Amino acid sequence: MSYQNYVIAAYLVFAAVLLWDYVAPRIRIRQLLRGARLLAARRAAASSSEPRAGQLPR
Amino acid sequence: MNPVVRWFHQLGSPPYFDRFAARWAPWAYGTGLLVMAWGIWQGLFVAPADYQQGDSFRILYVHVPSAWMSLAVFGLMAVYAAIALVWRIKLCEILAMACAPIGAGFTLITLATGSIWGKPMWGTWWDWDPRLTTELVLLFLYLGIIGLYHAIDDRRAAARAAGLLAVVGVVLLPVIRYSVDWWNSLHQGQTISLLGESKMDPSMLPALWAMVIGTHLWFAGSLLARARADNLWRESGKDWVRRLGEARQ
Repeated sequence: MSYQNYVIAAYLVFAAVLLWDYVAPRIRIRQLLRGARLLAARRAAASSSEPRAGQLPR
Repeated sequence: MNPVVRWFHQLGSPPYFDRFAARWAPWAYGTGLLVMAWGIWQGLFVAPADYQQGDSFRILYVHVPSAWMSLAVFGLMAVYAAIALVWRIKLCEILAMACAPIGAGFTLITLATGSIWGKPMWGTWWDWDPRLTTELVLLFLYLGIIGLYHAIDDRRAAARAAGLLAVVGVVLLPVIRYSVDWWNSLHQGQTISLLGESKMDPSMLPALWAMVIGTHLWFAGSLLARARADNLWRESGKDWVRRLGEARQ
């Protein structure tokens, strides 16, 4: 194949950008769902540690 | 109510859109990847070498579909942005802003692959040619829209500001398209036509059309995935997002 290195370089650029385009939103979605899960866990922990009626605060 | 109209209204609901995007994005990515794989195989190993350019012409199979996408995505982004500006539809804001990084990616591919092809064919990596320069301005415009969207804390105000830039920037599209006709350009003129006769040999065309269809399908998948991420970001803190996060544990 003539100009083989140029052809390979062009296809590698194409593949690299599409790979980034595929991975970037998946990482973002994973981060957001993880953040939502941690926020829910923090809220649950905070509500369970609140003093009940009649209980003296420590 | 008409089922299509009802579906359109349902799509405006953030949880419904999330389910829709999560379901269909992998299918669009998958079919796009398969069609592009076939196109690349045809383009690299089946299509004959060009009698003047040799095998360097095979760069066209990634360069031309990306160049078309760089313009089409900007046009679609401007349409979504205009709808969002006039009717304040949140989903259209999200879709418009999701278009920007995908379009920037295709513009980057266009410039990089064009440069790689230009070195052996023109003898230079870059020339301040009207087509190349206007395509570079398009990349800067995409980056400006992305930057503006992330520079303002209020998501809706940010989308409106960036959307306005997208609507104004659409005037660049005909300049890019006709730059090879309006000015003396090193870049070649139109060789492929959707409606008229193409100047390329028919044996070289199937791979090109496969790549065009494949990049469109890929774009659909990427648009859904990026819009889903932006939708989750805007809705973070809502109960449905928390439940979704817990379900993924």
